[in-house]
Amino acid sequence: MRIKCPLCGERDRREFYYQGAAIALNRPAPDAGDEAWNDYIHNRENPAGRTKDLWHHEAGCSAWLVVERNTVTHEIYGVELAEDVKRGSKNAD
Amino acid sequence: MADYIAKTPCDGLLPQTIGSLTLTETAVDRMTSFMPWKGREKTASKALKAACGVAFPGPNETSASGDVQAIWTGRGQCFILGVELPDGLSAEGALTDQSDAWAVMSLRGDAAVDVLARLCPVDLRDAAFKPGDTVRTEMQHMMVSVTRMDDGFQIMVMRSFAKTAVHDLTETMKAIAARA
Amino acid sequence: MRFSAWQVLKEGLTGNKGWTPHWRSPEPKAEYDIIIIGGGGHGLSTAYHLAAKYGGKRIAVLEKGYIGGGNVGRNTTIVRANYFLKGNSEFYSHSLKLWERMEKDLNYNAMHSQRGILNLFHSDGQRDAAARRGNMMINQGDDAILLDRQGVREIVPYLDYDNIRFPVYGALYHKRGGTARHDAVAWGYARGADQRGVDIIQNCEVTGIDIENGVVKGVQTSKGPIKAKKVGMVVAGRSSQVAAMAGMQVPIESTVLQAFVTEGLKPVLDNVVTFGMGHFYISQSDKGGLVFGGDIDMYASYAQRGNLPTTEHVVEAAMTLMPMIGKAKMLRSWGGIMDMSPDGSPVIDKTHVEGLYLNCGWNYGGFKAVPASGDCFAHLMAKDEPHPVAAKFRLDRFRTGQNILDEEGSGSQHNLH
Ligand SMILES: Cc1cc2nc3c(=O)[nH]c(=O)nc-3n(C[C@H](O)[C@H](O)[C@H](O)COP(=O)(O)OP(=O)(O)OC[C@H]3O[C@@H](n4cnc5c(N)ncnc54)[C@H](O)[C@@H]3O)c2cc1C
Ligand SMILES: [Zn+2]
Repeated sequence: MRIKCPLCGERDRREFYYQGAAIALNRPAPDAGDEAWNDYIHNRENPAGRTKDLWHHEAGCSAWLVVERNTVTHEIYGVELAEDVKRGSKNAD
Repeated sequence: MADYIAKTPCDGLLPQTIGSLTLTETAVDRMTSFMPWKGREKTASKALKAACGVAFPGPNETSASGDVQAIWTGRGQCFILGVELPDGLSAEGALTDQSDAWAVMSLRGDAAVDVLARLCPVDLRDAAFKPGDTVRTEMQHMMVSVTRMDDGFQIMVMRSFAKTAVHDLTETMKAIAARA
Repeated sequence: MRFSAWQVLKEGLTGNKGWTPHWRSPEPKAEYDIIIIGGGGHGLSTAYHLAAKYGGKRIAVLEKGYIGGGNVGRNTTIVRANYFLKGNSEFYSHSLKLWERMEKDLNYNAMHSQRGILNLFHSDGQRDAAARRGNMMINQGDDAILLDRQGVREIVPYLDYDNIRFPVYGALYHKRGGTARHDAVAWGYARGADQRGVDIIQNCEVTGIDIENGVVKGVQTSKGPIKAKKVGMVVAGRSSQVAAMAGMQVPIESTVLQAFVTEGLKPVLDNVVTFGMGHFYISQSDKGGLVFGGDIDMYASYAQRGNLPTTEHVVEAAMTLMPMIGKAKMLRSWGGIMDMSPDGSPVIDKTHVEGLYLNCGWNYGGFKAVPASGDCFAHLMAKDEPHPVAAKFRLDRFRTGQNILDEEGSGSQHNLH
């Protein structure tokens, strides 16, 4: 699998560290309650198909990335800097 | 007080010539990382240029002026080699001294690109990687910065990896030389 | 047909014409008392235990593919009871005891072989941890021996004992651990369940779960709707999809785990050897192939095939531990979809829907659990209360933070196990 980092260009999967579902960008309020926090930390949609997840370009530029890809075919649809997603308050679910 | 003996990271390891390939250490007396503060990227680049003649390089790029080299080393970060930066620059970004913290090597020879092809998962051939281009990638499992020079590659790893890096590079040089 | 040495001899002399299919292929009935979704090891074992221990029920196992096509037929077959935490250790201890009588109970040769497992360690700190684990295992009533370097050398002389990074200091030796023929376990439970009246329906994908007023009523399938009083979801890597049919999000992330096998060799490795520091473990199958594996592919995937970087990593670890393996030719590799839970331990529990039960979260270690998981899930579904050895496998432990079963001590979060 190859991921196209917006800064570095297309790179081998080995350069990246996988964090998990991009839900990590939508942290609930501290007092949101244990259901909300349980959903945030543990429960996952875990789709067989299109998903968005967080990767770290560990051996490259060190940027956190939101990768939209297919969990069945490993096709990659798009990659954005997590910073842009977060600051542009784009939907990261 | 004891007198410390300064040793370069590759002291006792380099230079090495294997076949028509050479691996040498490049002595760099000053190396500083520069990370512009959020939102000050443009003014930081100008200030850097005023201070030492090089602009802040874009991703995968370097900029040079005389003996001063600026190498892009990651998101919002570059390393300035070969000059002491004025403290005043810290108004524009974070400065950290990296001198002596990195092993800087040069790999030269026609087959240098073949050596790196075995060690790094990026395309470093002429068509894709021209003089002045740079990448952050991995060499085996080490983080590296590789820059294309006019006559070879400049390879930088953290100082503690120096021995491993030299080992991996020279073993691969031997393998390539054996095929020549 | 009962299997026996006599039967094998008779068939051998009469052209092997008398063997019959090991289970029927019935069409689904309109209604069952209990439906098990998923015909993997855990689903089949559940159906078997339901039929064998809580008789008189109409039971069906619905499998979207074929029996043995999922993880139960893809794993590297290591069976052990060397867990550390209360909640896990009694469960796996129970499971190993069930393994030891499985072949008799099922009248089926699952080639269960208690050849012993060596968990290597490489530092004083790791030796302490191994000693502590060994004590826990002995306290649980299982077996463990702490071997020093020489002790390991006598069993597996050809490891790289003086590896610069991972010198072998010793091993925790679990003699009752071993391997089994994975798909035979699925076939044996399928046959045992079928003989006790369970309908095993292959090529029958569940596409919906019917729920009325919070009570389960049945399922929708590729072979039409089927009514049921109780439904158990036991679909390993597909847990998220099936649970979603009941409106649930479960604490599961699905990832690929790969396995590798070399060409057949003469016997070289009598035991199972695990090299935790290199994420590598190995055994030799009865056919002679060296069967080995490593860590998961480390990102969510349903691809059932692996990525090369993981292959490279596993092979590097193999060479580090056992340089002689470099002479062997790798024959095949494959992958299965793991149901990874945040703390690395499973869930056997009721759900918010009455009559709907959940069995998932086996990570990369659910093969050894097949007998006990079936026994405990059957207990839960039949009696509506947890089996004592599986009482801690609760779904709400993640929300409450109570009794998190983090065997590795790495944190109760996805991607850490
Ligand atoms: C490479 C590898 C090595 C492993 N090594 C070991 C080991 O050494 N020791 C160990 O203890 N464990 C090991 N495991 C883990 C173990 O194999 C699994 O934890 C265990 O098999 C999972 O339970 P199962 O057998 O029920 O799963 P599966 O066999 O995957 O069964 C689930 C079934 O559900 C079916 N299904 C899914 N969706 C639907 C639907 N909608 N309708 C109907 N049916 C459906 C699937 O087709 C599948 O047959 C390994 C796994 C892999 C992949
Ligand atoms: Zn990058």
